[in-house]
Amino acid sequence: MAELQKDRMTRGDFLGFGLMGAIVGAILTIPPVAFILTPIVKTDVLGDSDVGADWQEVGSVSEIPKEEPKVFEVEFPLNQTYGIRSIQEESGVTDKEFKVRNAIWLSWKHEVVKQGRQGSGGDELGGSLRPSFMDQKSEGFTEQEREELVKSINVLSNSCAHLGCPVRWLIIEGKGEFLCPCHGGIYDINGGWVGGPPPRGMYHYAQVKIEEDGKIYVTHGFDTGGKNGPQQPYVV
Amino acid sequence: MIGRLRSQTTEASKVLVDWMEHRTGIVTILEHFLYEPVPKRGAWLYTLGSATLFLITLQFLTGILLLFYYVPTTDHAWNSVYYIMNGAYFGTLIRGIHYWSANFLMAVIGLHLARTFFSGSYKAPREINWVIGVILLLLVIGLAFTGYLLRWDQDGFWASVVGIKIGSYSPFIGAYVTHFLVGGDAVGPATLSRFFALHVWLLPAAIAPFIGIHLYLLRRHGEFGMESEYTDRLAKLHERQRIEEYARYEEEEEETYREDRR
Repeated sequence: MAELQKDRMTRGDFLGFGLMGAIVGAILTIPPVAFILTPIVKTDVLGDSDVGADWQEVGSVSEIPKEEPKVFEVEFPLNQTYGIRSIQEESGVTDKEFKVRNAIWLSWKHEVVKQGRQGSGGDELGGSLRPSFMDQKSEGFTEQEREELVKSINVLSNSCAHLGCPVRWLIIEGKGEFLCPCHGGIYDINGGWVGGPPPRGMYHYAQVKIEEDGKIYVTHGFDTGGKNGPQQPYVV
Repeated sequence: MIGRLRSQTTEASKVLVDWMEHRTGIVTILEHFLYEPVPKRGAWLYTLGSATLFLITLQFLTGILLLFYYVPTTDHAWNSVYYIMNGAYFGTLIRGIHYWSANFLMAVIGLHLARTFFSGSYKAPREINWVIGVILLLLVIGLAFTGYLLRWDQDGFWASVVGIKIGSYSPFIGAYVTHFLVGGDAVGPATLSRFFALHVWLLPAAIAPFIGIHLYLLRRHGEFGMESEYTDRLAKLHERQRIEEYARYEEEEEETYREDRR
């Protein structure tokens, strides 16, 4: 085609077009793409979270039943788009607090006698690891007792590890188990996988602390990665 | 005998139609769109495509109406739907049509797909039409999925959570797709805003041209064979119609002539 033009395009011209094209193309595409991909940049590249990182109170250690789990509701502050706290406060139009609600199952850990294999069979469980001093007191725990307590409780997320449906504790044929109503995922009292489609056990809250008065606090973070597998709770 | 009012109306209409046709060509276009040649046998199964288009049109229209009252923020979404159902006149009907038409659309699209497959209508030269049809199916599924969250009730919320988590299992891009849809790492205001933008603008804007291409390809190849295969019969039909029209003109002339002579 160049022969048909009066001035032929030289190699320099072509490269010039290419460079200009690249620059103009970048100017035209990067802003819109970055605009809609903001959350991917913030969450995956920068590692920020929309959920507030403060400790939230779940319940008291004395409220945990001896042999079965109990569910507690927790609210974490949520900062997204117009719901960002500073924007709400500054706007003068609305002042609303946006929250993400989690349901947390608290229970006493049961000893794992034999480790099962994911997909093959659940863990064989022994007795409850509830410390004996719990029979004597329900508050005023020493530091040592609190350390032992943190190791003896299960703080489980309600969200099934399969697709996020809320699981329930049911007694079936005299035995208790967590059952997911959506696709029948089954977990034991420790949240370990027993059966069904979930690729791992229930999510534990990664950061748990217990105050002197026996109150349990958690932050919004889960035990993902490593030997627990790459699955993330994502939307909880 | 043709009365003066009738003849004047006919004359005026002809003038108007010729005016429009001369300036826009709309009459020829409409004739081509509406008078699709089909053989006498036809079949009810072949109306499923039109049924799909009808339901999609219903969705567009009721969707636009719902937009007048729906508010896409987490603190107002449920309330605005409640108002549509209880405050706005015929709100229950409009929302109901939107909901049921969506359900029927999924069923009818499936039936239309099945009919096209089992009648072999995907074979040459109609392969691209089939591909476009599958793209339309995916877009409609996307519309149904994004629309469900907009109610912001337990049903819609958890269905969307499950749907998004299904997507999270995709290899390599799972996490990114999830974070893009959720607009962060928890379902909240950002998610509702995104799903609203997808459901109300992006996906409808994507579906409209594909429907256009789908219909164009359909008419190009014809349901029962290309129009070019019908040219002879079409030509004879047009000839017959022309003769009939001229015969009618002559009749009218005779009538008026006889009247004048009286």
